[in-house]
Amino acid sequence: MKQAFKKLSPFQVDPDKVWADYGLNESDFAPATDAEKEEMVEIRKSVSYWKDAARRFKKNTVSMVALFVFLVTLLFAFVGPLLIPYDYANQYRNSQKLGPFEYSDQEKLIKSIEGQTDCMFATALQPGSTTALDPGSYYFKYKGTTYCFSFEKKFADSVIILKDGELSTVREVHIQNGEIKRSTPLEYTTEITPGAKELTVVKKVFPHMVGTDSQGRDILARTMYGARVSIIIGIVAALIVLVIGSIYGAISGLCGGAVDFVMMRIVELIYSVPEVLIVLLLQVVLKDPLQVWFNTSKTWFANALSTLGAGIVSIFITFAALYWVGMARIVRGQVLMLKKQEFVTAATALGASNGRIIKRHLLPNCVGQLVITTCLQIPSAIFLESFLSFLGLGVSAPMASLGSLCSDALGTITLFPYRLLFPGTVLTIIVLSLNLVGDGLRDALDPRLKK
Amino acid sequence: MLVYILKRLAAAVGTVFVIMAITFFLMNTIPGSPFLTEKSTPEQIQLANEKYGLDKPLPVQFKNYIVNYLHGDLGVSLKMQEGTPVKNILFKQGKFRLSIKLGISAVIVAILFGVPLGCLAAYKRGTWVDGLLRVLTTVGVAIPSYVLAASLLIFFAVKHQWLPTLSGSLDSFKACILPVVSLAFYDVCYIAKLTRTSMLDAINQDYVRTAKAKGVKNKWIVLKHALRNSLSPVVTFLGPLIAFIITGSLVVETTFSIPGLGKYFVQSVINRDYPIIMATTVVVSILVIGMNLVVDIVYKLIDPRITLSSTDE
Repeated sequence: MKQAFKKLSPFQVDPDKVWADYGLNESDFAPATDAEKEEMVEIRKSVSYWKDAARRFKKNTVSMVALFVFLVTLLFAFVGPLLIPYDYANQYRNSQKLGPFEYSDQEKLIKSIEGQTDCMFATALQPGSTTALDPGSYYFKYKGTTYCFSFEKKFADSVIILKDGELSTVREVHIQNGEIKRSTPLEYTTEITPGAKELTVVKKVFPHMVGTDSQGRDILARTMYGARVSIIIGIVAALIVLVIGSIYGAISGLCGGAVDFVMMRIVELIYSVPEVLIVLLLQVVLKDPLQVWFNTSKTWFANALSTLGAGIVSIFITFAALYWVGMARIVRGQVLMLKKQEFVTAATALGASNGRIIKRHLLPNCVGQLVITTCLQIPSAIFLESFLSFLGLGVSAPMASLGSLCSDALGTITLFPYRLLFPGTVLTIIVLSLNLVGDGLRDALDPRLKK
Repeated sequence: MLVYILKRLAAAVGTVFVIMAITFFLMNTIPGSPFLTEKSTPEQIQLANEKYGLDKPLPVQFKNYIVNYLHGDLGVSLKMQEGTPVKNILFKQGKFRLSIKLGISAVIVAILFGVPLGCLAAYKRGTWVDGLLRVLTTVGVAIPSYVLAASLLIFFAVKHQWLPTLSGSLDSFKACILPVVSLAFYDVCYIAKLTRTSMLDAINQDYVRTAKAKGVKNKWIVLKHALRNSLSPVVTFLGPLIAFIITGSLVVETTFSIPGLGKYFVQSVINRDYPIIMATTVVVSILVIGMNLVVDIVYKLIDPRITLSSTDE
């Protein structure tokens, strides 16, 4: 070893001196044993692409907050309707045009006695054009006990009160200053008579937190429902765009040549169409035939779509017809870029089939781009739907989307601005959070793009 | 260059033809007839169909459209203003002018505010100015134009009555403010974002370092060296911008009761007034396609690295 050192050293140094100076031994230069090598091996596990991306995403405070906000709006849209007693379609005849936390006169009466009972049923709180109960038998359940009773005459403008196990009816005129002036006992059985209808009892009058619209529908319930419709439309439309766009783009990019040329001319054509006008036309054109098809066709597919309504389905068709071009361009660009990479050439040289190259090399490298574009497509789909609904196309009443709610509110905007601002704010929050999540995903999945 | 422009013009004519075909096909699939009212008898509808040539086979009708359009004849309205030439409705009655006025003002506002704000954000990057602008632009692209329009209307016109609620035919400057601002806001934010990003890109280039080394002031570097090179993404966005403005103007026209083209188009679709649908689509298509062509040529002029021969890059 010392001889080798002497030979290699560019200066004339005495190896013995160096050895002594630095306290080296001949054994320091012996090859490492297997046990020593084992010790030197890095014990950290390899990090997969997705784990790495997730770590980067978690570090991004803005995106994490946005994701949290989006989850909250999801809760608002999907769990919220279960928590409030109002429904998006039910009209409350006596509670029209209420402001936030305002009560109608009947509601005020009932509210004034709500502390004095275990639970109650009020005809005034019933939805529908007439709030009277027809003659017949009814029942409700409270704390495990069933109360079943019947009326021989129409039952209206009254409250059924349960207090200390006693059931009684009170006419609304007999409630004064929060006191029950007169009540009539109501006889009941604990067995449900056949044909009895169930009534929903309340403990307290639930406030209309954002008020009601001119048809007496609860705006909070409608906004929750509208948010749900908008989010579903956004996600489904983005998936439609993903499927059509990526298949089209992949075929165009992979085939190349004349096929690519023709396919890209078609894309350019659709790109230069003033889409708004065609979308409006499509909406009107599709609505009636779809409705007819829903009514006549008996297949499960038509039935499933008919629950969504013709307006929403025609929005999906619009997306399938016009909005996939952006995705197709991106996928084609990715495929073209990846096709020229060395690892694809290497795979081809090793005899890999086309299918294998697509599956193992092209697809995994595209996935990041696909996820990002799809995520950013959702808010733009929500935007388009709300825009169409705002113009009176899109979803139709009593269904609601955030756009149609804003559109309904426009007529009375000077009197009730919150009717437009509330759904509008929810829409803004959804779009904003999705945009930020999309940006975060882009930074996490494709760090090269980070600006 | 000339060859390129001619090629693009040929493609544009083809595109307009295809758009006409699509529109013709779509509007004829709308169920119902423009002459169908509660009172009309089948004979009356038959007569009206004969009068306006709607009884002829569809290919003949389509051919008639093409021939008439080549002669500059846009047909007459069938229902909404029966018998009036569509040309007069669109151009003489000021519908087109109103929409164009609104649209062009919005585009100008979008560029005049968007680019400087983006420059400012890039110039002051990392400071509170940049942060504030970033929040503003991020929120700005998430607000639907009608929510913004309604909010502005409530605040400026209803609550404080500084500005009129109905903008009418946009005669006074005051009447223009709210519609133009609500139409341009999204694009101001988007352009500011774009400019900031591309400006930061440009600032990291070698020629900026050279300029700095030569002792050029920071302000001049941004304005002269970086700005010119960071404008190309903004120019590319101008094409889609025109389309966005048309979309937005429909909504803004509804909110501020402006009798423009957008509202009229929606009504004509609902009323099945075929010549108006066709004429509006063609006019708007020519506008959009023409703007895209202009944008591409401008793009080439400000960035000579772009080769015009290959269109799909």
